[in-house]
Amino acid sequence: MKQKVLKRSKKAALVLMVPTATFLMAGCGQEEAVQTAAFETVDQCAAYFNPEQCRADLNQALTMHTQVAPKYTDKAACETDFGVGQCETPAQAAAAAGTEQPAQQAQASSGGFFMPMMMGFLAGQMLNRSGGQLKQPVQAQPLYKSRDDRSTFRTATNTPVARGVGPTYIKPSSVQPKAAGTVNRGGFGAQAAKRSSSTKSFGG
Amino acid sequence: MKKVACDERPGWRSYAESVGFEFHTFDGEVYWDETAYYQFNLRQIEQDLEEPTEELHQMALGLVDDIIRDEEKLQQLAIPEKFWDFVAESWRAKAPSLYGRLDLVYDGNGPAKLLELNYDTPTSLFETGFFQWVWLEDQIMRGKVPQGADQFNSLQDQLEAAFAELPLANPLYFASVANSIEDKGTVMYLMDIAKQAGLDSRFIELEQLGEASGQLVDLDGYAIGGLFKLYPWEFMVQEDFASVILSSQTQWLEPGWKMLLSNKGILPLLWQKHQGHPNLLESHFEQPGQSFGAGWVRKPLFSREGANVELVTPSGEKISEPGPYADSAFIRQKFQPLPKFGDSYTMIGSWVVGNSAAGIGIREDNSLITKDSSRFLPHIILD
Repeated sequence: MKQKVLKRSKKAALVLMVPTATFLMAGCGQEEAVQTAAFETVDQCAAYFNPEQCRADLNQALTMHTQVAPKYTDKAACETDFGVGQCETPAQAAAAAGTEQPAQQAQASSGGFFMPMMMGFLAGQMLNRSGGQLKQPVQAQPLYKSRDDRSTFRTATNTPVARGVGPTYIKPSSVQPKAAGTVNRGGFGAQAAKRSSSTKSFGG
Repeated sequence: MKKVACDERPGWRSYAESVGFEFHTFDGEVYWDETAYYQFNLRQIEQDLEEPTEELHQMALGLVDDIIRDEEKLQQLAIPEKFWDFVAESWRAKAPSLYGRLDLVYDGNGPAKLLELNYDTPTSLFETGFFQWVWLEDQIMRGKVPQGADQFNSLQDQLEAAFAELPLANPLYFASVANSIEDKGTVMYLMDIAKQAGLDSRFIELEQLGEASGQLVDLDGYAIGGLFKLYPWEFMVQEDFASVILSSQTQWLEPGWKMLLSNKGILPLLWQKHQGHPNLLESHFEQPGQSFGAGWVRKPLFSREGANVELVTPSGEKISEPGPYADSAFIRQKFQPLPKFGDSYTMIGSWVVGNSAAGIGIREDNSLITKDSSRFLPHIILD
């Protein structure tokens, strides 16, 4: 007899929306480390990953560099942490990367601050056993090196992630990039407020 | 396809509330309605709804290349010029998309006709994917629905697979506006499925999203690598953070290219390319000052839940729904009346996850225009 193929889901379970289930889930919250990699160049990265993805990851890291790098008003203070000759202005970073800064960032950087130079990038992908690529559990981002430890790659928030170029294990939550500088809020939602008298949803 | 009266499950309201479905009744009006269900046979589901849904979806995707290479079309869809590259780039980069819903007119005898695509912020997701699924299991168990009844509803399974398989950022943030419990409910459901698929899903109110040095950030100032937003693209591109969309290294769900397909202007473009297709209704962009007559429906390019829709039936009766979306251009679509079951006009919302049809949700209204207050009814498949 032919097995009937159902047109509906095999299960419909909830884990977050049901209070008791959330409680049961609480014990399974141990975050697992995943394997990713740190590189200085696209060529190094291409030995492990698709070169096109490597270029995209490097470009993303370069763009984020200005956004997340630790900021100093004083060049000497920056060099104390990162080494003499290892600090730059956003304009110098953009020139080095060969990119035009978006107008908004150029404006933000006109105050003239200093930040460490980007020394490498974290690949936004992880390795699996077959050497292929899985989803992106970590965000591609710039890496830095401190003055007193030139072998260790660190994120913009000073989390060490790798000793030298190549694969490394990290917990994704420990390398979530944090923006440096003033945070503005409330930039989305104005249209909802304006139109809210006549609708209960902004979906449809 | 028929409508069958059915006893309600005792205590379903408290069950609904216990699983976060607080909007089952809204402003004292019934929203979730299980006093009846709709019954289809398998041929109706597979040939008249499932197959056309996937075909229409492919036809819609097939328009994206045409639009991003044609300034006239981008202007017809009122996409701000500042975002043309963003939209095109999101398409070329194959930025992943989660889901969409097609609204169809269907009375049991084909072909179903496409009313519109809800491809940016479709809702009624929890009602479809979870609550009507549980309703069926319960009613089979209680003997109120025949043993062997099925449902066209693989929505939750397919969403879970999509969250697991698509190249998505992790953690993945989910945002909806602060004052809508319906939108929050939809987003909580998606977060729940994402969590089951192994993602770290985090909620943030849309109004609380932050910006620092051009990067979108969460409440603690951490960069947001991926954001599902239950908020229309056409609003976002004209708000204060519009420039952050361009500067932030954020993966958006739905992606930028969905701005094109959630636009009612897609209907005349579909008609231009596939004129006479059995699942399409004749549609045109409205010319300035043009009047519209009997047998036509007028819809704004941007509108949700039937708002600002006007129609004139072939006999000349005028029906219109007020709303907050009058500030855009309009399209006209040939009037196709929704079928009437008892006193109610019935519309079918047909879901797409990835490129697969994933089930249906049924909405009923006392008027010919389906809107956000329209009742949701469950359905079954029985051969």
